[in-house]
Order: sequence, then structure tokens, then C-alpha cells
Amino acid sequence: MSAAKKKGKGTEVLLQNLWYNNPIFIQVLGICSTLAVTNNLTNTAIMTLGVSFATAFSSLTLSGMNKLIPNKVRMIVQVLVISFYVIIIDIVLRAYLPDISRSLGPYVGLIITNCIIMGRAEGFARSNPPLLSFWDGLTSGLGYMGVLMLIAVVRELLGFGSLFGIPILTALLGDAFTPWTIMIMAPSAFFLVAMVIWASKTIQEKAKASKQAPAGGTK
Amino acid sequence: MKRDSMAYTVLFTFLVCVFFVFFLSLANESTKDRVASNRRLAERSAVLSAMGIPYTKDTIDTTYEKSVSTVKASTGELYRASVGGKNVYAQRFAGPGLWGTITIILAVDAPVEHLMGLQVVSQNETPGLGGRIDEPWFKTQFKDEKIGPQGIRVVQGSGKGDKDPNNSQVDAVTGASRTSQSMEALVNRGIDDFRKAKNEGVLQ
Amino acid sequence: MSPAINPIILFFASIFTSNILLANFLGMCSFISISKDQKSSFGLGFAVTIVMTITMVASWVVLKLIIEPLNLDYLSFIIFIIVIAAIVQILEMVIDRVSPALYMALGIFLPLITVNCAILGAILFMQIRNYDFFQTLAFGIGSGAGWWLAIMLLASIRKRIDVAPVSAGLKGPGITIITIGFMAMAFIGFSGMLNVQ
Repeated sequence: MSAAKKKGKGTEVLLQNLWYNNPIFIQVLGICSTLAVTNNLTNTAIMTLGVSFATAFSSLTLSGMNKLIPNKVRMIVQVLVISFYVIIIDIVLRAYLPDISRSLGPYVGLIITNCIIMGRAEGFARSNPPLLSFWDGLTSGLGYMGVLMLIAVVRELLGFGSLFGIPILTALLGDAFTPWTIMIMAPSAFFLVAMVIWASKTIQEKAKASKQAPAGGTK
Repeated sequence: MKRDSMAYTVLFTFLVCVFFVFFLSLANESTKDRVASNRRLAERSAVLSAMGIPYTKDTIDTTYEKSVSTVKASTGELYRASVGGKNVYAQRFAGPGLWGTITIILAVDAPVEHLMGLQVVSQNETPGLGGRIDEPWFKTQFKDEKIGPQGIRVVQGSGKGDKDPNNSQVDAVTGASRTSQSMEALVNRGIDDFRKAKNEGVLQ
Repeated sequence: MSPAINPIILFFASIFTSNILLANFLGMCSFISISKDQKSSFGLGFAVTIVMTITMVASWVVLKLIIEPLNLDYLSFIIFIIVIAAIVQILEMVIDRVSPALYMALGIFLPLITVNCAILGAILFMQIRNYDFFQTLAFGIGSGAGWWLAIMLLASIRKRIDVAPVSAGLKGPGITIITIGFMAMAFIGFSGMLNVQ
């Protein structure tokens, strides 16, 4: 592929994964375990970085191994490769960020079953060259990260009054601030994801409609 | 060897497993020491905090080695340090929580009349509920708390922290009654053990 | 040491107060996609319960006999995944031999279950909380049953929603997720029932 064409494909992948085909609000993948940690911005940041890392490198490795993998064990090999990178993340966290490793608990291991990684491995890395697959994995992870960080901001701010552990609402309002407990608990994550889906779908539909209107113009 | 033949499949999977396990073992070995030292630092800083000895992130080891010694009693190994001229004792206690084991470091003064402090070393309670026993507002309630004849009571209070150190009671975590009860049982068991050690003459 | 929880209480807690799906967010993907159809939901829920119970017990055995004695903690994830994949594979073959009818109903779901986060997630919880054998058994059956209950409930609700006027942006996954949120809230109401938090 010529350099210009490559660049074009790269940008296309970026736009798709960040907006038009975002893993969470369009593909509705990866709604799993990572939602559990979104009541805390620091944990969310680490988890989503971990997912991005694992997706990018798994896609890279699997794409590179494409010609070697026998069909019967395709899924198993995918899971093995993904587990490998997730375990690396776990080891690194335990060694260099032990407090975060403790508060994330089993959810680091659950990155393995995060549908996004399998989804990109099956849907993209199988039929695309290694570097592009890496980029696809990375941008999918970033699209994922954006949405979850947004949800985490709302949840941590309203549930604990802080951002990244730094007290903000509690400092500004003191005792007048009553933490909104449902934001700490499970249901709020669901509602917020639904809000994000609603907002983005509505925006995308409107954009599509206004693009078609001038073409359909005079009737 | 054909890609889809049985022999190749088995060989390939085997090689992939060996390759990955090898690298993971390497990664694990090379970080083993770090993980062990993290654990040691966590335990030591918990002991220092529970006893009320100030330290910074870089001076944990030096402060610990300078200030803390260990003594043995029939109830286990106790940490001893001199704080404000008087001897303070601490010990590690573990007990069942709601979901898993809660491990704490509890510190008392020599006559076992006041708790000097409490630190949570590990717990697996529900995040945002029982897990809040690890939050500062909960733990500081135990600092300088007077020990009553029944020990310490964990009661349903405002959930914001009981500021009275003389009433021998602390606020439970709102919405986490089981974990709070487990903490009460654990702390009182610790106090009993300290009293036993005192009767043996270990606490001077 | 194992926590002092009665297995029967743990069983009910895993279904109601700490539902693996509604409280722990595990197993969402197939939950959302399959709950469109009540019949498939029943089948998948059943399959998940069976697989969850068997893999839980098998993983506990592997944990106690292999991982712990040999200090292979850091390889837990890979070992558990292999156990899950192997059991699902064996189950598929056994069901196919024993009852082709059952295979027709259940078989398609089995590969889906291998990557269901609920299975691996529950196993990891079991490992962290250090359950003994009976607690593991209760937790396995309970978690599976809880998942099954949740998907049946959601499928029934979705049948009604399909004919309700929902705005375009919310149709499909949007309103489904909001429904799940309400279900999660409702289940929190169970927390007084068992005197667990």
C-alpha cells in the first residue's frame, strides 16, 4: 500500500473506533466488568489503559500469527494470547502499583473476557496486517476509555465528591454536600451508559439526516 | 506438515503454551522481589500508622527498624515501640468478614486502656460499602479510643465518624452491617488477646 | 482461611443480594443480545448454570491440587481458562452423544459461554475469597441460577418494551440497559432479606 493510502486507512480506523463504530455506544461491547470499577476515576483510567494495551498487542500478535494458527484451535489461541498480555499487566500492577492492584482485585483478570478484545481479534486482526491491527486495537481501547472516563467523572463526583481521589465537591460545599449513594452502586453505571448511548445515537442520526436532506432537497 | 492436521495442531498449541508460560515465568521471577518488598512495606507502614509513629514514603524501613521491636507472647508476636515516652504495642489480627478475611493491625497502650490506632491490611468486602472500613474517617475513630469493660462497640451512628474518644464506641459503615459486625468481633478479639498478654507480664 | 459463611446463605445471596449480573456486572454481552428471545434465554440460562457449576468445582480442585501447592498463582488466569474451555468442549461432545435433541437446543450456546465473563469472574471471586468445597458448590449453582433468573426476567420485560413507544436513540440497547439498571435497583431491595449487605 502506498504511504498516502496507508495514512488514509489509519485515520479511517481512528474515526470509526472513536466515534462511528465506538465499542460501547454503537457495538455495545465490553459493557461487562469494567463498568464495575467506574465509580472511581483512578481505577477506571488504569483498567481502560490495560484494556487498550491488551487489545493493541493481542491484535498485533494474532495478526502476525495469522498464517500459522490451525483453524480448530483458533479461539483457544486467541484466548491464550489475550491471557498472556493480561497476566503481564497484572504482574506489572502488582509490582509497581500495589495499592491499585489491590483495589482492582479480580477485575484485572476479567480483562481477558472483555468482549472488545475478542471482538477486535476476530473482526479485524484476522484479516488485516499487524501494524494496522495494532492501531485498530489501540484506538478501540481509546474509544472505550473515553466513554468510561466520562461515566466515571459523573459517578465519582456525585457519589464521593472527588475526582481522582482529590476532594472537590466536599471541599467546595463542605457538609452541605450529600453524596448521591446510588452513584456508588451498580444501577447508576447502567443508567449512565444508556444516557451515553442515547446521546450519541441521537447525534449520529441527526448528522445523517442533515446530510441527506440537502440531497433530497426540493420535493 | 499441513496446517490443519492433528499433529500440527497439537504441536502448535503446545509450543505456544510453552513459549508464553516461559515468558510469564520470567516476568514473575523478575518482579518477585519487588512484590515481596511491597508487601513488607505495606505491613510496616500499617504498623507505624496504627502506633501513631510518623513516617514518609521513603523512610518506612528506616523508621520501622529504628523504632519497632518485636516481643513474643502466648497469643502471638507483638510489635513494640516507644511513643511519647510510653510503650505502645501492636499485633496483626485476622478474622472472617462478610466475603473474605479481614486482616488488621491493632495498637494499644501498655495498660490496655486505650486503643492507639487501627489499620486495615487486607479485606475483600463489597467496594463502596463494607470496603469503606479502609477509609480514613472509619479508621481514625479508633485512635485514642477508650477501651470499655466490654471492649469497643460498633454501632449504627451518623456514619460520618464518632468523634468522642471516651464512649468506647465507633460508628458502623452505613449500609454495611455485616462487615461492621465482623470488625467489632475482630477488634474485641484483639483486645482480649492483648489483655492476656498483659496478664502474662509481656506488656510493660 | 475460609470466610464463615453458611453455604445455603451463600447460595441465596448469589442469586438475590449479590447477583453476578446485576450487582457484579459479569456476563453482560450475551445477556443483552440473547434476551431478545424468551426461548433462547431459557436455554442459555440453563446452559450457563450447568457450565458454571461444573467449572467452578473443577477449578476449585485444580486450585487446591495444582495451583496452590506449586505456587503457580500468576498463571491462574490461563489455567482457569483452559479448564473452562476443556469442560465446555467435553460437555458439547457428551451432550451431542447422549441427546441430539438437547444438543440442538443447547449446543449453539456452548462456545458462547466459554468467553462469558461470568464464568471466569465467578471463579476468580472464589479464588480470592478462599471458599471451601461446599461454599464453592453453593456459589457456583447460585451464581448460575442468578444469571438465569436475570435473563428470564429481562427477556419477559423486553417482550413488553418491544411494543412500547421508545424514542429512536434509545431503541434497542439503550432502553435495555436502562431496564437492567432498574432491575439492579430492585434487587438491591433484597439486601434486608438475608441480613447480608
